[in-house]
Amino acid sequence: MRRGLQLLADCAPISNARDADRRMRAAIGSAKRSDRFSRQQGFDRAIARLVHGTRVPAEIKEWFANESMAQGARRKWWRTAFHPAVIAIAIALAVIGFISWAKFSEQMHTFPGEPIARKLLSVASTTRPSQLETIQADAGTMGDLFLMKHRLEHYDVPPEFARLRTLGARVFDDEEAGRVAEIAVDEKRMQLFLFPAPRDAKTAQPQEFSGWRYIEQEGWTGAVRERAGVLFMAAIRGPKKDLARYVKE
Amino acid sequence: MCGQQAEAEQVFQDTVREAAFLAANGDAPSDRLWFFREARWRCLALAAKGVQPEALSQETAEITESAPEQIAQLEPEQLAAWISAAPEPQRSALALYYLDEFSYREILSITELKLPELSAAISSGRREFQAWLNASAPAATLE
Repeated sequence: MRRGLQLLADCAPISNARDADRRMRAAIGSAKRSDRFSRQQGFDRAIARLVHGTRVPAEIKEWFANESMAQGARRKWWRTAFHPAVIAIAIALAVIGFISWAKFSEQMHTFPGEPIARKLLSVASTTRPSQLETIQADAGTMGDLFLMKHRLEHYDVPPEFARLRTLGARVFDDEEAGRVAEIAVDEKRMQLFLFPAPRDAKTAQPQEFSGWRYIEQEGWTGAVRERAGVLFMAAIRGPKKDLARYVKE
Repeated sequence: MCGQQAEAEQVFQDTVREAAFLAANGDAPSDRLWFFREARWRCLALAAKGVQPEALSQETAEITESAPEQIAQLEPEQLAAWISAAPEPQRSALALYYLDEFSYREILSITELKLPELSAAISSGRREFQAWLNASAPAATLE
């Protein structure tokens, strides 16, 4: 007989074995085959009979006239709800829930290339007009210029910003971003950036995402979109609402 | 547990009084085991004030076929005296087990023992009681 079952068999119920749990029933079933267990049961029953024969004083018997006394009071739900342990658990769950929600929300709003976009937002804030080659044209035509002059494919300005007039443009290399095209437009000193989308480490494919994503940093706001492996960012000094009216969701 | 009727009655009264006090303060014990847990601690506290049983290595004997007949010759007070003289936690384990009111899980909860400890306390208690029976009510005298 296994030791675990033997331990249980040593504590086998004297009566009401049917009410025992599954493990105990298994232990009893296994022990029943031995003489030792049948002697143990006879011994235990004899002692239990002796215990039940104990004379209980009349004044104590009176206490047990109402047997529900020893069954304990049923705790009211509101007392349980306001128990310090329950409140502590509820607060802990609320904090965990809030942190999880905040993390989830943060994940929902991040996008591939966000660190580079933030870096370029800093570039936007420090760029001087003298750093740019003067070009006066519709922003929508700049894609052709980048393709022909710099061999940058898909560096196209989205239709939402295509009609803005440009003041100047430049193409530069960045350690993290790669080849970056920067366009300054005359409207609200807005700047437009085009740069390669980061690639997946395993598949080497550009990481895609849909729709416009916003980032804010030091008073500047950027609206970022991905198309054909190229990220476009419109950057403006001001709140998100100033950019949102250009962007079609 | 106490071995003395007067002490047992005092423990009982104190336990009931404590339950009534808690109930009056709106915090009535929600668990029926609370009464037994509380009564046990009060018994142990009382016993700690009195004369302590010497820790002797008890003789043991294998349980015999004739044990039930031997036990039938005893008075409940003899059994109570024997159990109350047992060392803790064996005393609590035997007292609760032979009340035949609790599952082993409930006894573990009241005594705060682990299953191997409870099993050892009960099985060694049986063998020691059998040895005591053999000495005080030998099977041969029953025939």
